[in-house]
Amino acid sequence: MSAAQVATLSPEAVTIEERTPFQIVMTRFKRHRLAMVSMIVMIGIFLVTILAPYIATFEIQELSVNKYFVPWGTVDAETGRVHHMGTDNIGRDYFSRLIYAGRISLTVALLSVLISETIGVIVGAISGFFGGWIDSVLMRFVEFMLTIPQLPLLLIISSMILRDDQLIAIPDPILKFMGNILLLSPRDSRNAVLIVLVLAGFGWLSAAQLMRGTVLSLREQTFVEASRSLGASNFRIITRDMIPNAMAPIIVDASLGLAGYVVAEAALAFLGFGIQDPVPTWGNMLAASQQFMLDRPWLPLVPGLPIFICALAFNYIGDGLRDALDPRLKL
Amino acid sequence: MTAYFIRRIFQMIVVLFISAIATYALLNLAPGGPLQGLRQIQQGGRFQITEDDIARIRAQFELDLSLQYRFTRWLVGWPTGPIVLGGTEYFSDVVVGCRKPVESEILNDEGQYETKVTGCKEVVYMKDLVGRRTSRGLLRGDFGLSWRLLRDRPVSDLIVSRLPKTIQLIGLSTLLSLLIGIPLGVYSAVRQYSKFDYFFTSLAFMGSAMPTFFFGIIMILLFSILPKDAGWPYVPAGLSESVRGYTIPLIGEVAAGSVKDRILHLVLPVAVLTLVQIAGWSRFVRASMLEVMRQDYVRTARAKGLSERVVILKHAFRNALIPFITIVVFTLPGLFSGAIITESIFAWPGMGRLYILALGDSDYPVAMAIFFILAVLTVIATLLRDVLYTMVDPRIRLS
Repeated sequence: MSAAQVATLSPEAVTIEERTPFQIVMTRFKRHRLAMVSMIVMIGIFLVTILAPYIATFEIQELSVNKYFVPWGTVDAETGRVHHMGTDNIGRDYFSRLIYAGRISLTVALLSVLISETIGVIVGAISGFFGGWIDSVLMRFVEFMLTIPQLPLLLIISSMILRDDQLIAIPDPILKFMGNILLLSPRDSRNAVLIVLVLAGFGWLSAAQLMRGTVLSLREQTFVEASRSLGASNFRIITRDMIPNAMAPIIVDASLGLAGYVVAEAALAFLGFGIQDPVPTWGNMLAASQQFMLDRPWLPLVPGLPIFICALAFNYIGDGLRDALDPRLKL
Repeated sequence: MTAYFIRRIFQMIVVLFISAIATYALLNLAPGGPLQGLRQIQQGGRFQITEDDIARIRAQFELDLSLQYRFTRWLVGWPTGPIVLGGTEYFSDVVVGCRKPVESEILNDEGQYETKVTGCKEVVYMKDLVGRRTSRGLLRGDFGLSWRLLRDRPVSDLIVSRLPKTIQLIGLSTLLSLLIGIPLGVYSAVRQYSKFDYFFTSLAFMGSAMPTFFFGIIMILLFSILPKDAGWPYVPAGLSESVRGYTIPLIGEVAAGSVKDRILHLVLPVAVLTLVQIAGWSRFVRASMLEVMRQDYVRTARAKGLSERVVILKHAFRNALIPFITIVVFTLPGLFSGAIITESIFAWPGMGRLYILALGDSDYPVAMAIFFILAVLTVIATLLRDVLYTMVDPRIRLS
């Protein structure tokens, strides 16, 4: 082959189409069929909960007097609104409460993941990067916290917080912000903020361990050495080299964490130590329905199924993301 | 090696000590507690409760002592009074608490009046502690007295009466799930990518995503409520034995409290815990088996001409069990936590339910005792796991 022949080959003939890392990940993610289905299901659930005020026919605390446990699809005689899923034991619209509950449960899970992964990434990066006594102190603390049985500890802390809700002062702007997201009064959203704090307060531990491990292996890579020899500061190395490169396991951990938090929040509410009744969550609706299931067996299925579906879907999405982001990754 | 263990045991004690302080402070600093109801009665004005009555009740719950003295008395049963050395009493005038706190309404930052303790009318001195009832201390195996659930009875009585129920539940379900889960995991690994494997792994995946509380409720629906309504044989749900006798189609009459009754009540909670554990353990066994079957020594075993059966059972399976044993040991204390939810759904009178009741009723001595027992179990299990690692796998060196 002469030089002239090579020159005549068009660039299209020898190079394949260039794709961004995002496109590559998306192609691989699409191959995981269950993860794709889960993604679509979750987008649907999120849409419903975001549009809750437009879809819900009633307010969450609106009581219909003398209309307890009305059948599905009953029409309210005065206003013409429909009880899509009937009412509960004190005459509140079950369907409206269900979608508002989804909004609250999912927001709590999302915020918990966001906070815990952020703290975990920062602590883990510092611990892994600097090593030495900082690493020892931080990791001993994390190990110490993980040795204590988690569920009993969560229960103790939330029971204490619930008994006196003034115990931890939460700034008003945060309450108002949360109230705006959850469409509740700032006073009612206080409980949700506290549960987020409790869940994230324990959730960051494992994220920190994961991040530390990743940073430890990244620290030895040549590109870090290159950055350093170019005179980059520690801060720059951590924020520009370490954190972006450690994102894959963190993203997978976050999506699996979402499943965990949805279930954990529901479990706390189910045991009576989570978000309390006038504010609906899937967990406390399930707990409340348990005493009526002898006569109305379908009642617990309504709030229980979304918990299960979300837990399963987030797990599948996490699984798919793991395969897509880094097939070698084991978590 | 010895140095490692000494260090680990020392660490263990520190962890337990810190968690004891932390949880004790957490529970005792929070307002409310056993006097809450009393205050409401007093404010209602229907009963005349004098200051002295309140002081007496406070003394009964040791609420008149400062936190640090309360804690040491709870932990080691000390101080019980002044130290007597050679006939003289030392520290007898040390203030250890307040019998009658002065509460007043204070304007807080938000412009509202709040009741706060501002002073003390009558203090408690060390010498007043002489002759007071006290526990011998947690470290000497005395958990103190229950405040609410079984008023003034030792916490240990409560726990001892509940413990067998929890052990029954956990023991049975662990045994069953190991017996079923291990073969399933091994079979699934040996037939990797077969239809069975796909079916089973997706089932296990769903099982581990399933929240226990919802699963329990579905089981109650499927095996208790619906069949009962339809007139089919059903399994009773709730409590560990029934109050009244009942008749089940095909099984016949069941007397309350009989062996048959108890076994029937065990079925559902054990089934829930078993299925949840099968999901977790079989997945682990499968992964572990797959890992081992890729190893050279398995190929060697095959190359020697050993039968597939021997290769899998003797060479692969035994090695796959190594990490599995440590996992099982480590998860055992966690099972107690898992039992909290299962026991709550089925109103099973075990430790987990007791814990929930104690927290709900502000019966701190009971809650603290259970929490402490769980913490000790978990810490010991962590140590045991690390020891087992080195024992079963000499390649791992401890430093």
